[in-house]
Order: sequence, then C-alpha cells, then structure tokens
Amino acid sequence: MIALRFPLPLPPRVRGRITIAFFAALAAGVGGLALLGVSGWFLTGAALAGASGTAAVAAFNYLLPSAAIRGLAVVRTAARYGERLWSHEAALHALAGLRSTLFARLAHADGRSAPDLSSGDASARLIGDIAALEDLVVRRPGIPAAVGTALVGLVAVMLAGWLAALLLAAVLALLLVALALLPPRLSAAPAADAAAAVSRLRRMLVDYAAARSEIITYGLADRVTMLLAAEADQLDKAQRQLARIEAASSGLLILGSTFAAAAALLASTAAPPITALAVLAATASIEAVAAIARSSAREAAVAEGTARLQVLLTLPAPHAATALPAMAPQPLGFGAACFPPGSRIALTGPSGSGKTQVIEALAGLRAPFHALAMGGTPLAERPASLIREQVALAPQEPMLIAGTIADNLRLARPGIDAAAMELALRTAQLWPRIERMPQRLDTVLGEDGGVLSGGERKRLSIARALLAERPWLLLDEPSEGLDAATEAALVAALEVWLDARGMGLVIASHHPPPLRLASQHIAVAVVPRA
Amino acid sequence: MFAWGVATALEARLAGGTTSGLATGSALVVLGGLLRLASQYSAQVLGFDKGRALARARRAAVFPRLLAIAGPGAPALGATATFGIDHIAAEQARAARFDPVRQSATLAPLLVVVVVAFQSRVAALILFATLIPFVIGMILAGGAARQAADRQMAAIAALSALYVDRIRHLPIIRHFGAEERIARQAGGAAQDVAERTIAVLRAAFLSSAVLEFFAALSVALVAVYCGFSLLGLLPFPAPEHLDYRAAFFVLVMAPEFYLPMRRLAAAYHEKQLGEAAEKALAEVPELVARPCASEGVALRDVVVVWPGHRIGPISFELGRVGLVCITGPTGSGKTSLLAAIAGQVAPSEGTLETLPPGAIAWAGQVPLLLPTTLAENLRLGRPDADCASVAKAVGAVGLDALVASRTDGLATVIDHHGAWLSGGERRRVGLARALIADRALLLADEPTADLDAPSAERIVALLANEAKRRAVIVATHDERLAAVADRIIAL
Repeated sequence: MIALRFPLPLPPRVRGRITIAFFAALAAGVGGLALLGVSGWFLTGAALAGASGTAAVAAFNYLLPSAAIRGLAVVRTAARYGERLWSHEAALHALAGLRSTLFARLAHADGRSAPDLSSGDASARLIGDIAALEDLVVRRPGIPAAVGTALVGLVAVMLAGWLAALLLAAVLALLLVALALLPPRLSAAPAADAAAAVSRLRRMLVDYAAARSEIITYGLADRVTMLLAAEADQLDKAQRQLARIEAASSGLLILGSTFAAAAALLASTAAPPITALAVLAATASIEAVAAIARSSAREAAVAEGTARLQVLLTLPAPHAATALPAMAPQPLGFGAACFPPGSRIALTGPSGSGKTQVIEALAGLRAPFHALAMGGTPLAERPASLIREQVALAPQEPMLIAGTIADNLRLARPGIDAAAMELALRTAQLWPRIERMPQRLDTVLGEDGGVLSGGERKRLSIARALLAERPWLLLDEPSEGLDAATEAALVAALEVWLDARGMGLVIASHHPPPLRLASQHIAVAVVPRA
Repeated sequence: MFAWGVATALEARLAGGTTSGLATGSALVVLGGLLRLASQYSAQVLGFDKGRALARARRAAVFPRLLAIAGPGAPALGATATFGIDHIAAEQARAARFDPVRQSATLAPLLVVVVVAFQSRVAALILFATLIPFVIGMILAGGAARQAADRQMAAIAALSALYVDRIRHLPIIRHFGAEERIARQAGGAAQDVAERTIAVLRAAFLSSAVLEFFAALSVALVAVYCGFSLLGLLPFPAPEHLDYRAAFFVLVMAPEFYLPMRRLAAAYHEKQLGEAAEKALAEVPELVARPCASEGVALRDVVVVWPGHRIGPISFELGRVGLVCITGPTGSGKTSLLAAIAGQVAPSEGTLETLPPGAIAWAGQVPLLLPTTLAENLRLGRPDADCASVAKAVGAVGLDALVASRTDGLATVIDHHGAWLSGGERRRVGLARALIADRALLLADEPTADLDAPSAERIVALLANEAKRRAVIVATHDERLAAVADRIIAL
C-alpha cells in the first residue's frame, strides 16, 4: 500500500519505537472495536434476559462483560497515547538523523562540484522537505495495525454469519483499493506544485531579507510582498486541491462505514446480541482503516519531498577523515612561472580582471579558470583536501558564521586556545576592539558578523586565516575598509607574522601599502587560461 | 439518525423480525450516513478556505514588516523564512482545523445531551457529569503544553537560521576542513529540536489522552447503566423506564457526545502551535518610525546606539547640493550613521531631520541583486527609467565594458551567484542603480572600495559632479574622495 520507503536505513532505536508503536496501535484499535462490540452485545443480552424474567436475569453473567467494558476503555486510551507518542518519537528522531546525515554529506562534498543550491534552497530541503517525511514514519506503525484491527473486526462480524462477513470484507476491499489508488494519483500534481511553491517562497524570503537596506530605501517592500504573495497564492491553490482530496477520502470512509453497518444489519443470521456486536464491530473496523486513508492522501506530498531530497541523497557518504601526515609546503605555479614555498606574490590588474577568481581557485573554492598548479600538478587535478592543507584564505567577503568570535576563529583548525586567538587578533589589529567588549571572545556576532563593522569583519577573517597555520596565506583586499593608520599597523604586523613562520603569501589589493608585503608581482592578465 | 436507525432495526430483529422495521432502520442508517458525509465534507472544505483567507491577510501584514526593518531588531535570514512560511502555516492550520472544531465542540455535545435526555435522563446526566473533569483536564494540560509549544517554535526558527547560515558559509567551512565539526554541531541542533518537539507532543497527547479517557469512561458507564437497567438489576430504584430501543440509541449516541471534543483534542496541537506562531510573529518589531521629513538633512547632537557601539553626538546640516564625507577609523559607525540618515535606524538621542523616503537613494556595500535581469536590477529604484538613462548611468560608473562583454548585455540574468560579478562590479551596480533612481539625496557606503585606482578616480569625479546637482553623503576612508568633499564629518 505505502510503496514509499524512508530514504535512508532507519537506526535500530527508531525501528524499536516503530515496533512498540505498532503493538500499541493494534491494542488501541482492537480495544476500541471490542469496547463497542461488547457494549452492544451486553446491552442486547441484558435486554433479552430482562424481558425473559428473573431466572434469565440471574443466569446472565453481567459481571464479566461490565468489567470488560471498563477495562477496555482504559486499555484503549493508554494504547492510543502510547501509539501516538512512540510513533512521533520514532519519526522525529528519524528526521533529525536524516537532517544531520544529509547536512554532513553536503558539507563534505567537493565545493567545486557540489550541487548548485542557494542557501535558501538547501535549507528548504533540509528543513521543509525532510519535515514532509514525518508522515511516512508516523503512519508506519498505524497501517499494519489498522489492517490487523480490520481483520479482528471481520472475525467478530463472522459470528453474525458468513454473508455479513463477506459483505464487510467486500466493503473493506473496495475501500482499500479506492483509497490506495485514487488519492495518490489525484494529489500527485498539486503536491508537486505545493512543494515547489513553498521552496521558491523560502528562497525568495531569504534572498530578500539579505537586501533589507535597499528594500527600505527604494520602497520595494510592497513590490517584494506582491511577488511573495503571488508565490504564496500558488501554494494555497495547490493546498486547496489537496484539502479537497483529503476531505473526499474521509467522506469515502463515512460512506463505507454506513454501508458496512447496513450490510451487517440486513445480512446477520445470528441472535440479536451478536447482531448488535457485529454492527458495531463493522463500523469500528471501517474506522480503523481511516489511518490508511490519511497516509494515502499524503503519499504524494511525501513522494515529492523524497524526490526533492534526491539531489542531496545522491551525494556520497563522507568517508572517515584519515589523518594524513602533514604534507610539506608545496610550490605554486602560475602558467609557466613556479614559486617555491615562502614566496610573497602580489596579483595585479584592474578591477574585474580576475584576481579574486585566481585566489578563490587557489583556495579550492571554485574550479580554476587560469593555468594554476600546486606541487607541480594542475590545480583542477588535485583533490580539494590536498589543496586546503596548503592554503588559508581571508576572502573578499569575510564569510563569518553566526556564532561567537571564538566559534569563527575555531573554524580554522581544531584545538585553538584563547592565547593563540589573542595573538592572531593582535596581529590583525582587532584585539583592542574585542578587549573592550564585555564578552570578549564569547561575543555573539549574529549573521554575517553582526555587531562588527565591515573592516572589523575583514580583520577577524584575516585572524582566522592566520590561525590555520598553512604554508600559504591568501589575502583578498585585506585592508579594505581600514583607515590609513590601522592599515599601516596591520601590514607591519603581518610582515612580522610571515617572517617568523616563513609563510608564503598571495595577495590581491587595490591599496599600495599591503602590496609592499610582496616581493614578486604577477599581472593576472598574463597568466594563461586553463 | 444513524443511531436511531441502528436502534430501530435491532429492536425490529429483537421483536421477532418484522421486515418493515428492519428496512426502515437500514434506510435510516444509510440516510444518516449520507447526511454526515455531506456536512463533514463541506466543513473540511470551508475550514480550509477560512484558513487560506487568514493566511493571505497575515502575509500581507507580515511580509512588509519582515523585509522592511533594519537594525539590530531585524530577524536573521533563516528566521525570516520561518516567520514568513512556517509560522503563518501554523496559524493557517489552526484556523482551518481547530477553529471549526471548536465551534462544533461547544454546540454538538449540547445537542446530543438534549437528544439523549429525551430517551434517558440518567444517561444524559452521566454524560454531563463526565464533562466537568474532562474540561478541567483539558485546561490543565493545555497550559503546560502552550509553554512547551512556545519554546518549540523558537527552537525551530533557530534551527532554520543555523542551517541557512552554515550552508551559506559551506565554502569557507570546507576551505578550513571544518566540515565534520560543523556537521556535528548541525546534527546536534537537529536532535535538540527533535527532543523539544517530543516534549511538546507528550503534553499535547497527554491532554488528548485525558479527554479520550473520560470519553471512554462515560461510554462504559452509559453501557453498564443501560445494561443493568434493562436487566432490572440497578442497585437503586429505577428512576425511569428504559426500553431496548432507547438504551441502544443512547449507547450509540454516547461516543457522539465526545466526538467533537475528541476532534478538538486531536487538533489541540495545531491550536498550540498556531498560538505560539501568532505570538512570535507579534514580536517582530514594527517598522521604524521615520524622522520628520524636511527639505534638507539636519542632525543636532544625534547619538546612535547599537549593541557594543555608541556613535556621536554629531551635528551637521546639508542643503540641496553638496558633498559630505563621513570618515573615521573602521568600526566607528559610518554605515550606521548613514542608515540613521536614511531613516532606517532611529537615533537614541538628539534630533534628526532628513528627506522623505522617496527622495533618498542608497548605494550599499553589498548591493541587492534580485534573481532577474541586470537591467531590471538597475531599475529597481525607478522601474520606469528609460534605456538612455540606464545606459548613461552604466557608462558613468564604468560598467559599460562589463555589459558589452556579456552576450546578453543588460538582459543578462543574475542568478544566485550574482552572475559572477566581482565585488567592485557589484558595488558599481548599486551605485548605477542609485543614479538611475535620480533622488534628491544620494547615500553611498564606501563607493570606491574594491576598485582599482583608475576606476576609483572615475567614481570620485562622478560623485563630485553629482554633488553639484543633488545632496550626496558618502561614508568613506578614501582620501581622494575626502579631498573633494565640501564638508568632512570625522567620527
């Protein structure tokens, strides 16, 4: 019935919860069915006995059924609670596990060939599309339990005669076939539309929120809201169709339950108490099938979520990082020119000539446009991990993560202590500013560096690159946004740092002072293309 | 009607099986079922439409607030998406699923009690009596669950913000080989949110279990009472005579008494999430009150305070033309002051007069690029700008060579990588956009940064020239730009 599977193997803990939830669901379903059936049988039996006089009353065993009724009421409640709690626990743990696995795969993918996703899109998949799979796990224990309950109901109805049972079986079979086939087919298109619309909406919101300043200045809020509202209308339209299909499936159930009751009434050949039991058991067994109707109606949405996750699912699982022995510093090649480790190179050329492209390629962030080499092999042929251990980048956009100043610095490598952070921040001319903050290194920055100004963010990213302690330091416009005095101090301190460690440097800058750190100049325009 | 039909038919069988009673009963069963089918279907569809209408109104109110607020109060990027999509969806689900059920939960049980009372006053009394602990249980469980729901909404928004941030910075995370550490952190955060959600669900399910328990208990009581009454074994003098049809009717009706309330309990999670979402959305700050609009810019002892920052006091005036340079060491708050002059951040002290919003253009450090054509991006400040003025501005900032080098020219579509524009090119797109907007006051944040010397000199000359036609305020530390300024404000 539910052909879809959870995209990754479920951990044993989750599978255990699903099993317990299944038994709880079965207990709740059968308990509820028995409660109704026994009540009907008890009532009818009592009426018969009451009508037949005192002797019959005395012979009627009322203690057992009345105790059973009360006992079943408690069992049903407790079992239902257990089923819901355990199945949701299983689902939420499974989703958290899937999120963390897929994030790890995305993070470990080679940046130069990783799937082309904007951050809004990727997080839409990791948050929204994975949430759509919740249903898949939550309903999993309920479906076999529903079938089990329906079968028990069928056995109960059998007491009222073969014809009644046969009719109920026919109604159940018709219902199951209709529910299994119709809703998933009808809802496939609207579910796809809804998932696509919500993902577009999420991406748009993230992109526009990043541009608030201009939205305010140019009064674009209404225009942007209209763009978003149009997208939201698409979402509503698709969801309206889905809601109708869901309403129709529950309507189908009411119809089934009605016919099952009527059939049991008309076809019963048994005594009245058993007929009462059969009628109520028939309606209860149809009710049990409701769980299947609900999963069936949402199957298309789940399938859509799974399909959108495919791009992440097909990423290879990260292999355990094998601690390679630290490689010796490697020379860099720009076309025919080769620079030994420890060289200080300045990239020159007008704005837009590709200096940043060269630096980002050397950092392993993107595929090289130019003929660049490291350790004698062309950069494109070198695995990303072997590029990284040679270089540390302070990019043009500082690329700070949301978190504390220390969180950002710790990105550079594991095991950096406060003293090392202070030293690097002093070199980057940022320590006095951080010393004045009440929380110092534990100051929370917020998105993109939050409370820091542009120049301060840049210097924090320089300190981070220094802490990585790689053979080559890559600096892209290191003094952008700095006043002349700070710039001079930064250049002097960087020189001391590089000299002390014999570190190589590749720098791009429009300002003359930082360029004085370099002893050799390369015009980007003369580096041949790859 | 369904119940009456079942009772009639069963009694007919009991009485010895007159076929007419059986047929009437069965017909009633089918009719009752169809009636229920129609009302349930329309209730579900109408409920959805109500939810949709609410979501539309909320989006129209919330989106502008989410996107047109600057400064420290603005939600983070990922949280913005959560507010705009997930929280509104939670409110929509409450309106679609909980609100209609709540209405039927107040009316339907009363109706059932009245109908049952006609058959058996004692059974009606039993139903009514179990209602009281039912309601108390609901209130108690609800209070605890709401708090947990609030915390969960916050946790989900934070998780979404964390994922957006970390995915955005994957290149640098990969560069430093920190994937494993960051993935561990992201996984831990997801697990944490799962634990919180489970806590919320435990409370929600407990409240519905309480409801279910009383529902089951009362059905059991009614069944036992009716049974003993029919047997004539009641331990107290029978207050009423109960025939079989009435007893069975009451038994079948008993679950109906609780059905709307059980539905209410099932939808209770939606109510809690919806309320928590509404509360979270209400906490998104209102738009900043704009300073009084005037003919020119005038600051008197203006102080702007950010977390960890204090700028000012600053006083200066600028008329219809002229170039003011705000200079100062990095981190002294040049950008923040510019935002205050743009009316985006309210000063903490002093008085600030500035031009009305429609008279200000902004060229920022990281200009906005919408996923559309380069031309449309340039025209964002003035969508009706003609081709000539676009071409003129593109030439003035020195982007003409770039435009000529692209096969699609101005029709080049900006993708989410910014179409590989360099930092300097992006900045010049922002400046060209500000020029095309053709406003009385031009604010530019570090317009010459990331540019090589010839390009920077061109921009300096351009701004000096613009300052003859309009008021220009520039935040910069470029000495070439400061040299041509009419006035320098040093922070």
